[in-house]
Amino acid sequence: MSGKNRFEIERDELLGEEVWLARTSRGLPVRVVPTQRFRETAAVLYVGYGSTDLRFELEGREIESPEGVAHYLEHKLFEDEALAAFDRFSSRGARVNASTSFSRTSYFFTATDQIAANLQDLLHLVSHAHITEENVEKERGIIAQELRMYEDSPDFALFFDFLGGLYARHPVRHPVGGTVESIQDVTAEHLLECHRAFYRTGNAALAVCGPVEPEAILDLAEACALPEGDAVPVLRPADLGPIEAATQPAPRAREVPRAKMMLGCKDRDLTDDAEQRRHRQLMTDVALDRLFSAASEVREDLRHRGVIDDSLSAGYLCDASFGFSSLTCETDDPDATAAALTEVVQRPPRIEADYLERVRAKLLGRYVRSFGSSRGIASAQAEEAVHGLAPFQAMRRVAALTSDEIEARHREHFRAEALAQARLLPA
Amino acid sequence: MVETFAGFRAAEVAGVPVLWQPDARFKTFRVTLHARRPLGATAAARSLLPALLLQGTARDPDRPALARRMESLYGAAVLPLSEKQGETHVLRFTLDSVAGHRVPGQPDLLGDGLALLADLLARPRLAQGGLEAGSFERERRQAADGARAVFNNKGRWAAQRALALACDGEPMAIPEHGDIDAIEALTPAQCEAARRDFLGRGSMFAVAYGDLREDTVQPRVANFLAELPPRETEPLPPPVEPAPRDRRAAVERAHLQQSKLVLVFRLPTDVDASTWAKRGLFCSMLGGGPHSRLFREVREKLSLAYYAHATLDRHKGLLTIHIGLDEGAAERVEEEVRRQVAQLAAGEFTDEEFATARLGILSALQAVDDSIGDRSEFTARQWVLGHDRTPSQHAELYASLERTTIADGAAGLWLDYSYLLAPQTSEGSS
Repeated sequence: MSGKNRFEIERDELLGEEVWLARTSRGLPVRVVPTQRFRETAAVLYVGYGSTDLRFELEGREIESPEGVAHYLEHKLFEDEALAAFDRFSSRGARVNASTSFSRTSYFFTATDQIAANLQDLLHLVSHAHITEENVEKERGIIAQELRMYEDSPDFALFFDFLGGLYARHPVRHPVGGTVESIQDVTAEHLLECHRAFYRTGNAALAVCGPVEPEAILDLAEACALPEGDAVPVLRPADLGPIEAATQPAPRAREVPRAKMMLGCKDRDLTDDAEQRRHRQLMTDVALDRLFSAASEVREDLRHRGVIDDSLSAGYLCDASFGFSSLTCETDDPDATAAALTEVVQRPPRIEADYLERVRAKLLGRYVRSFGSSRGIASAQAEEAVHGLAPFQAMRRVAALTSDEIEARHREHFRAEALAQARLLPA
Repeated sequence: MVETFAGFRAAEVAGVPVLWQPDARFKTFRVTLHARRPLGATAAARSLLPALLLQGTARDPDRPALARRMESLYGAAVLPLSEKQGETHVLRFTLDSVAGHRVPGQPDLLGDGLALLADLLARPRLAQGGLEAGSFERERRQAADGARAVFNNKGRWAAQRALALACDGEPMAIPEHGDIDAIEALTPAQCEAARRDFLGRGSMFAVAYGDLREDTVQPRVANFLAELPPRETEPLPPPVEPAPRDRRAAVERAHLQQSKLVLVFRLPTDVDASTWAKRGLFCSMLGGGPHSRLFREVREKLSLAYYAHATLDRHKGLLTIHIGLDEGAAERVEEEVRRQVAQLAAGEFTDEEFATARLGILSALQAVDDSIGDRSEFTARQWVLGHDRTPSQHAELYASLERTTIADGAAGLWLDYSYLLAPQTSEGSS
């Protein structure tokens, strides 16, 4: 195939946007959003490998890697034979960076010029792991400093205490970057094994948004030297059972002006189907919005009773191997706040028609806004591509929502036996 | 008044300068009213105002009602915000919305959103004595808790402490939230007085940008501004600039693992746009990213820090360096920073360093037009600084700078304060 024939093109009439979809000959999914709306081009290479992929099978062996290895690898891939990756991007006026989460690592740049050189460079860096014992050792101190900075954050400590309470065995309980202790065990061999296991075209996707020619981007993407194939099987405990009292974190004393607490539930069943996860995410987000958005009379009542304040935030995070909701709040009386929130989440409110209409309008506004930057668009497209999700489906999902299924999702997720909490108390 | 400013249309509407520019590349728009007063003793009352205004209006009597109205406007955000800009206290009132023609029924989201904003500003429950004591007390307590919570972010805390100590006796020393004791002593009457003061005496201007219709912007903004009370604007004083003096220093301690070093340098503020551009370039070469001396020398080569970057405050004339490091390295890092500053000021840098820093700035300026928020902020900053330049014209200014002008960027720079936030010692001493 050549030219436009190599692509499928999906359009969204409401937004007036289109996405060009293709695959390189090695099987790397590529999405391009060609637009003259932006002067800046953003490119995101998304790899479906994160901090929870610690145990896996590779070449007939079972491998157990230290906590924090995915984040360590992200650091090391920014170093190649020339040892000046940041300098090269800077010299082209580009900004480059990367981030690691529980289930993915993404590499990205934004630039207004020399897009081809920047993209080639990014693909080369991620495809070729230039890792030696010497340069792994050199990076250890820098990563340790980064981890110490996170550990100084009370919110960080609270979050991982909470996850430790929810999950006694699943590696989501560990900090994404590991700990200063765990990274001491990371070796060049670990990093190279993880790169071989997960950095594959079937476990990655590239998305580019900006004033670019899709054909030219696809030609450049052909240079991506990641090997073909899917990621290797990951071995994780399911860890879906009831919360275990023995693993509940004790309240921890920290130098904080007020107590902080987190409370939430974990899902008891999971799905490999990314579309079903999106639907579940949406239903849970709406269930939480109904209770805890600024428009909710439930939240206002809790505020008036003095058991929460505006520091309360609510969220839900899920992936193929975990899913949990969380409520985070500062409080003067953690017992009263925990009791009130526990009671509220276990009493599903009615999802009335006028609420559903309002939340649909709000989500439509949010969806339109999400197309406001080249970086945001490229990130969203890369994530959808790696999970095999079709573009422009967000509003279809919102339109299909029903009150009954949101209420059912609420009852199914917020169960007493699935609820954990963590607290930080002023020292 | 001029008819254009920084590439925007400009007109005085109801006594307020309004800068606006429709841009069909976007699907949303933003309108922001800026009101500015000298930073001073009433900072706490002013800082509490946004939270109090959101307690309800004559039409929407409580927070949920207000929030529901915003949700019905396709999730429009109507946000009051208090912030410190050098020694000026700024209240910003922003309407952020999807363009009406992008959604079913094509509602007038500009008009409806500005009507909500007018309710918030001109008819809040606070003004009608309708804010019950419990609500006021709750918001006041929450503001005090928020001010205390700055301590949880050690980098932010260190920056706040460094400025408070370096600028002791100057308005700049007042933190963004005012002061915890002042917050706790506030009354509703003081906050209402602060609202009237801002609306009656504040130096105001408005910026509107995005997917707006040319024929509706001015009339809708005029309707909105007509709702505000009559104004008698008072001029803003220039920033306090102490004469150069010997470096001062302090070490404070807290429970933390990574120490924070903040170095506060001073610069004269009474300079033209070209000098600020030279300073911008100097600051970028010193600590503006992975290409900078702080990153390459202090972090990468010497492995003395995890992060190290420099920021420039054009309103107050400060160049501040923020470094995360081990306490034991602090003295050496400060020496190294001073050495790098001196080298750059003496022109001891490569052509490549100069070109990379300039290219980074030019690239960022080119991208300003890609974001409604960035372009609106850029235009507002230009208005405040009196620099009538578009991002492209600003880029031309940077492009015209020669490497020999970097020394001008460092002219008048002096280190005023070195602040270190370090771990508690085993005895817990401070």
